[in-house]
This record gives sequence, structure tokens and C-alpha cells, in this order.
Amino acid sequence: MSATAHPVRELVIVGRDAPVWLSACVMQYALGPAGVNVTVVELPPLAQAADLCISLPALEALHSRLRIDESRLIGATRGAFTLGRRFVDGTGDVSAFFHAHGSNGTRIDRKEFLPHWLHARSQGFEQPFEEFSLTAMAARQNRMLLPDAAIDGFGFTDYGYHLPAIPYGAWLKQLALRRGVRSHATRELGIRVDPQRGIAGLLLDDGRALSGDFFLDVTGREALLTAALGVGIESWRDAFPVDRVLSACGALLSPVPVYSEVRALHAGWVSLAASQVCIHVQQAYCSDLAPDPSELEAATRMPLQAIVVRELQPGRRMHAWEKNCVAIGQAACVFDPLHFVDLHAVQVGLVHLLPLFPVQADFGVERDEYNNNVRAAFGRMRDFQSAHYFLNRYGRHRDGDSPFWTRARAAAPAGELAHKIDAFRARGETVYYEDEAFTIDDWQALFIGHGAIPESWDPAVDRTPPELLRSELGRIQGFIRQKVDEQRTHSAYLQDVCALPRAGGAPSFK
Amino acid sequence: MQPMPLRIVIVGGGSAGWMCAAAAAQVLHPERYRLTLIESDEIGTVGVGEATLPALRDFNELLGLDEAQFMRETQGTFKLGIEFRNWDVPGSYIHPFGAFGELWGGVEFQHFWMRARRQGLNPPPLEEFSVAVRACRRNAFDFPSPSTVLSTFYGYAYHFDATLYADFLRRWSMARGVTRVEGQVVDVALDGAQGTIESLTLKSGQRIAGDFFIDCSGFRSLLLGDKLQVPWEDWSSWLPCDRAWAVPCERSADFTPYTRSTAQKGGWTWRIPLQHRTGNGHVFSTRYVSEDEARATLLGQLDGPALGEPRLLKFRAGRRAQAWKRNCLALGLASGFLEPLESTSLFLIQKAIQDMLRLLPSPEARGVDERLVREFNRSSDALYERIRDFLILHYTANRRFGEPLWDHVRDYPLPDSLHHKLRLFDARGHVPYFKDGFFSRDSWLAVLFGQGLMPGAHDRLADCVPRELLDARLRELHSRVATHAGAMPSHADIIGRYCGEAPVTKLAVSS
Repeated sequence: MSATAHPVRELVIVGRDAPVWLSACVMQYALGPAGVNVTVVELPPLAQAADLCISLPALEALHSRLRIDESRLIGATRGAFTLGRRFVDGTGDVSAFFHAHGSNGTRIDRKEFLPHWLHARSQGFEQPFEEFSLTAMAARQNRMLLPDAAIDGFGFTDYGYHLPAIPYGAWLKQLALRRGVRSHATRELGIRVDPQRGIAGLLLDDGRALSGDFFLDVTGREALLTAALGVGIESWRDAFPVDRVLSACGALLSPVPVYSEVRALHAGWVSLAASQVCIHVQQAYCSDLAPDPSELEAATRMPLQAIVVRELQPGRRMHAWEKNCVAIGQAACVFDPLHFVDLHAVQVGLVHLLPLFPVQADFGVERDEYNNNVRAAFGRMRDFQSAHYFLNRYGRHRDGDSPFWTRARAAAPAGELAHKIDAFRARGETVYYEDEAFTIDDWQALFIGHGAIPESWDPAVDRTPPELLRSELGRIQGFIRQKVDEQRTHSAYLQDVCALPRAGGAPSFK
Repeated sequence: MQPMPLRIVIVGGGSAGWMCAAAAAQVLHPERYRLTLIESDEIGTVGVGEATLPALRDFNELLGLDEAQFMRETQGTFKLGIEFRNWDVPGSYIHPFGAFGELWGGVEFQHFWMRARRQGLNPPPLEEFSVAVRACRRNAFDFPSPSTVLSTFYGYAYHFDATLYADFLRRWSMARGVTRVEGQVVDVALDGAQGTIESLTLKSGQRIAGDFFIDCSGFRSLLLGDKLQVPWEDWSSWLPCDRAWAVPCERSADFTPYTRSTAQKGGWTWRIPLQHRTGNGHVFSTRYVSEDEARATLLGQLDGPALGEPRLLKFRAGRRAQAWKRNCLALGLASGFLEPLESTSLFLIQKAIQDMLRLLPSPEARGVDERLVREFNRSSDALYERIRDFLILHYTANRRFGEPLWDHVRDYPLPDSLHHKLRLFDARGHVPYFKDGFFSRDSWLAVLFGQGLMPGAHDRLADCVPRELLDARLRELHSRVATHAGAMPSHADIIGRYCGEAPVTKLAVSS
């Protein structure tokens, strides 16, 4: 009977590279047993040897749900772990800082850490904020950090992955196919649009026609399906000056760093992120402020290979979900490369879709809810990046400031972000909206790192006796030292836990 | 070098005033903040039998109160939820402080339950999958154990005498350095240049200067409304009740661990069991019933002899456009009013106090920082609006056809935010999640299902389990929940053992 029949039996996912296969794995895992057939239409890959998928900590949970074995994944893709990133000034003498995936300090006298630190600082205490982050301190010594009971009591610590894009995509593809996803590769794609329903069908390069009830557009920034449905883009150009991104492979570093480094240059910035294959280099800049090549050389100090340069037009589609098609990842939103949020955007798009996946022929309300949710979530991720540019103190010189960073400082933040910065500067209060991707600790590390030191603090901490505050600050530092010393180095961990599987899994591109 | 202490002046000594004074005395440094509370014995407080939310436990914990002592002093009882009678068709449902069922494979329980219904498995009613509801139905209570798993998860709150609570907090605060000034405010002086409040003059002629003023003057809103002219945002088109009668009666044998709310022709009546008596009231709209008729309705439905004459309270639903303006912040009724249908009055006060204590001016800066005022008001607006939507839901989703109040609220235009939520539930039993948790997803589910709504479909993720396995799992969970709730002692027993034998002398203080 049609009233009870599910409106979606055939789900077609169109796209390429790791995002399309991650989407396929998630949809197959969640909806396959409920009778949804998942088919991937795979477009020619665009991922290059230099490309790296960098995750936020949330990916680990998604991988676990998919029953992905972490050590086998890291071994097979020759990836690495990351405890966060270190921001370095290559233009002057702004202090470097860590944005680590863990809590800053721990509660003292049953009150939050930041106001205590601010209070102590006002009395001449000089220890930098990041020295109270266990995760940052482990990263500085290139140690892996695995929580135990004592660390759980102290705070939280997390990690992300550095996964070379080609083998990660290949690995997910194998997994998806093994779990029953069907796939067709095509070099060209014809799209038939029905004005009522949306996507009516696809034409593959061998002349086959493919129909489906529901579509995911994971075609990247081209957003082939979404564009065919006429969905426009809201440009973010005003907030983000970067319009070119260079990617390249550097040397293989040993030991393998357990964090990435983002270095401000006069004409942009460069990031160095390690895998067990090489250092993956990304340089972001503005085409009209072309960087001096020597700046990149000086920043990387290694020969670069497999160089690709891509254009970047940051912006968000007006709707991610239009008619019977949902745009996932870059098809829905093209982010600035700072803070590496692309893979997380894929995850956000999928995770919000699952509980709203159509169950009746009319799914207008689900679509509205989804569009509101991901719009807000993308906005919060953008705010985090935007704050970094807006608050920067890089490139200031007596004989003229670097135009790139001046331009970045000039981009006025959106209303919610402006309020967030205001409240933090005034009181160290971290305004935390719905749909945040980054934690309160992330925001604190970002703000403090950029020198936005609050002018006052939560008055509750003034009541903590000065002797107790001093001894607790000392105790925390002692705890951190001890815990860092107990950890294995990242290299040892990769060797012990994520050794290459004996057969089959080795990447083929090297 | 310490700056001069910041002088905080609290106007009004009801629940809001004394909760604020107590928390401030506990949290702020006594050499940096000086606390004065002005109250008048001539002005009555609104304090009636009060039902609360579980968050009040955090507040008491902040003060370091001993739970048993607090309950003894305030004639307190335990509360696992609220029973709603006749809000839809004749019948009863309970909004518990707890979960329905448990997540299976990350999928919310209601989807499995809806699927079982649709596929003819005839599952027991949803409420039988809630430990808190089953305990309520037995008049039983026990403390949640630390080993509680999701399927048996619940929280609890209290019923208590709000006048005794304010009295308790008054003694507690004064012992910790809060200065109490007896008197009535007759004049408020502003600084000419900035329009901030400088001082208050009392009937006695005494002048009290301050740096920061907290308006807890109740509906009068002496400082924020009267003096600073912050406009009132009226919500009575959505929440038309504008009066309440309140009267206590003798404690009855039906000693419920929950509040009862019964829909009436022109509003609803509450029933709040305390140790020494039962608090009752009738919230109603004068557009639909007269004061006399409402009074008769209330008195006719008491489950014991009335103790005294009913008192009439007048109010409007809504709030001040800003709860904090310049150096004046309003708490409780001075900042807004939402009818006590979901026991949110003290919660709104508590949340505002906690936000305020973090965002107060410092003695160094003295002046008010507008950036922090904006944050306080933003947070307060969001909370008010969410609670408003939740209250409207109880009214609008009704099938009491042919009664003018209930016909009106069924058909009036809803706030967009609520309209969207209802469509989403109607389509597939989906309830959005809020990080702030107010109200929680389980609360929304309790009321949505309770009001007789049934979604048109369930989430496909719930189709992943074979039908036979689903049936077996539901049976197993149902019996696990029943066993857990069935082992609890009666509410009366546990109150007697834990915090009973209230000293009679203390009662005299409150009268």
C-alpha cells in the first residue's frame, strides 16, 4: 500500500574521493538494514598525493560507529594522529600558541580554570595559558596522549587524524563495497531535472541511465546536482581573503610530529601536517598579493613535490537540501582552509541527515529543519576561522604592515561572532551557541592565543585563597609533567599499535 | 590595594530576593562586594506552595545546604514530575523528570515504540517505559542510584513552602553578612548624566546608596519597570490566564511524589503536596470565567478541608524587554511572568542569579559593561522563549471541543518556533535537541504524546531490527523498568524516614 511504503528505496550518492565513500559507508551502515539500497556514482578522483584529510576529534566516534578499526586504518593509510595545531608567526614576534584538542587546566576550588588563571596573571603569575593544557604539552614533546582514570578526572583530551586523502578514500571505498554498496564509475555525468521532484535521473558515460528516489551530492565545490537544481551561493569572500591554495609533498619527517604547524607569512600562511608518507604542505594566499616564493622555501626548508594550486571561492549554498537532493561537504559549503574543517563539514552533513531521512512522501519539514541545522553549524565553524583572521596581530611593521593580514583584520565579524568576542574580552565569558563544532576550550585557546586577554573574570574565583590558588597551579603543572612523561612518543605508538598490516593494505601511490 | 567594595542593593525579600542574597553571599568575596537587602514586613510576598525543577538541587548544592535539613525546614517533599489531568480528552499523563526507554544503536526509543504500534506488536503505553512515571503511579520514591543506566534514568525536584524557603534563606544569608534593611522604597534617585540608579529613599527617610541594584520587587517592578521604564512585552495572546486563586488544605492520604495540574473550563488547578498540608490554586482567565466562579471551582475540588480563605493574585503573561538595563537587573516577577504550569518560576530566578553572578560589574571597573549586559539579556531571552513555547504546547494541543478557552487556544496562531516543532513531531516523532536542555527532548516527548499527538511515521533507523527481536527487547525493557520502580518505598515512608518530624516551633515563624 502506497501510504505505508517508504518513499526512498534507492539512494544514489554522486561524488568522488574520501567524502563520497564516507557518505556511502554511513548511509549503508545506518539505512541498509532498513531496506535502503545505496548506490555510488563515482566521478574521476581529484585528490592528489599531497592532499591530506585532517579530522576534528568527532571523526573517531563516527568511525567507531562504522566499526572501523583505528589502528588498522592508520596503518593502512600511513596516516598519523594529531593532538592539535601550533600557530607560529613567520612575520614577526607574536608568540606561538597551541590549539590542542583537550581541556585547558582543570577546576580549582570547584570553579572554572580560565578565571583563576586570569586572576593569577593579574597578580604577576607568568605561566602561559597553554602550559596548563595537558594535550598541548604532550604535543610539544611529540607524545601520543591516551586518557587514563587520572586524566579523565583532570579533563578531556582528544585527537584527530592526518589521513592521506588517496589511500583514505580507497580504504573507505573497499569498506563500502564490502558492506554492500553498489558503484558505477563514470567520467561524465548527465543530469535530468524534474521541476517538481528534483533530480529525475542520471546519465553515465557508457549510456546507462540511473534513476533514484533520493540523491546526495558529494561532487565537491562544483556541486553538480545542487547547481543543476538552481541553488545559489552566499559568498563569504568578504570575510576570507584567501583565494588560492597550493598543496605539495615535503620530506618525510622523523619522528613524525603529532601536531600540525600553521605559520603566518607576509602574504598568507603555510601549514605543515605530517603523515607517515611525508609532510603535507599547504600554502594559502591571495592571488592579487602574490607571495614571494622564497617565503615558502624559508618556511618549509625542504624540497617540495607534487605541487598543485587550486582556486578557492569560500561560500555556503543557500540550501544544502533542495527537493530530493542533499549537498554534502564542499557541495554544501566551501570553507577557508584554516583549521581544516572540510572533513568535519562532511560529517556534520551526514549526521544531521540520518535522523531526518525521509519517511514520507512529503518531507518539507525535515528539509527545513536540516537546512536550518547545517546552516547554523557551518556558520559556527566559519566564525571560528573568521575569529582567527579578525584577531590576528601578524605582519605589523614600522615600514608598513603586510597587506594580507591587514585585509584579514579588516573583515568585520558576523553579529554572533562579534558578540562572542565582546563577551570574551570583557569577562572571559565564552558564549556558546547551539550547533557549535568547536568546544569552549577550543575557543579559549584561540582567543588567548591571539592575545584577546579578558579584561576581567568571573568574580567567584576571587574568593579562592591565594595560597590555594598558587599550590593548585603548581600541582596542575606537576601533574601535566608526570602524565606527559608517562606517554609513549607518537613514533613509538605508530610503530607499536599501527604497524602496517602484513598484506593487502599498502597504499599504491608511493 | 583593594578598591572600595561594590555596593549591591536588593529590593524585595521574597524567594527571588533571598535566593539572590544567599547565592551572592556564598559566591562573592565579602571584601569586594557589600550586600544589602531591603524588605518590608508590610508587603506580602507571593510565595505559595512551590513546585520546582531538578536544577534547584544544583542551587542548594551551591549553597552547601544539607538536603534533609532543607526539606525539614521547608516542609519539603519529593517531586518526580507533573501529572496533567484532562488537558486533552479526559484522562491523565505524567511529564516525568526522566527518560522513556533507552537508546538502541543510537536511535531514540520512541521510534521503536511507534514502529511496534504500527506493526501490530501492541506495546504497552509509552509511560510504562519510564521509571519515574511508574513510581509516580505507585506514589513511590527512591533516590536515583549512581549506577543508574539510561533505561532507569530519572531526576527529582522538590515541593516546598516558598515562604519557609525564603525565611530559611534569610536566616542563612544574614548569618553570612547580608545586611537586611526593614522598610519600603518610596523614591528612586537617578544619576543625571547616565541615568543609572544612585540611591533609594525609604518611607522612614533613610537613604540607601548603591552601585548595582537588583529589582526583586515582584509584579510592581519598582526599579526596572517603574523607574527605568523598560517596556513590557505582552504574551497574553498566547497565555490568556491573568488571575490565580491560592489556598492550602489539609494533607490527604494521596501523598503524591508529583505535582498535579488539572485542566478546568477557564484555566487549570494545581495541587502540590507538602509535609504539613497541600497547596492548591486555580490559574484562570477572566475572559472565560469570573473570579467567583473560579474560586468556587477551586474550593469544590480540594481533597481536604481548606486552611484559610483563598488569596487572589493578578498577573499578565510576558516579560520586560530587557531584564538588565544600566545598573539595574530584575529577578523573578519583576522581570517577567510565566504561569507555573511547568514549575519554572524558581528556575528562571536561579538561572538569572547564576548568570548575573558571573557577569556582575567588578569593584575595579564599577561601571556596567554593556557587552556583558547584552550577554545576560540574550541568554535570558532564549530561555523565556523556549519555556513560553513549551507552555503554549499544553494549551494548543487539546481536544476539549466546545469550551471557549480551549477552542481559542487550539486555533490561534503559534510562534514560528513552536509551529515548526509541532510539524516535525507530527511528521515523524522527531524532537530537536537543545544543548541547553530546556526543556529536554524527553520532556517534549512526554507532553506531545501526552496531549494525544501521534506522529505519521517513525524514523527509518528504527527499522534496522527484525520484528521478533524488537518485540523481545520491548518486553525485556518493560519488565526491567517495572521491577526497578516496583522496588521503591512509598513517598510517605521515605519522607518520614529522611526528613520528617518537622519541628512545630519553626512553623510559627512563617505565619
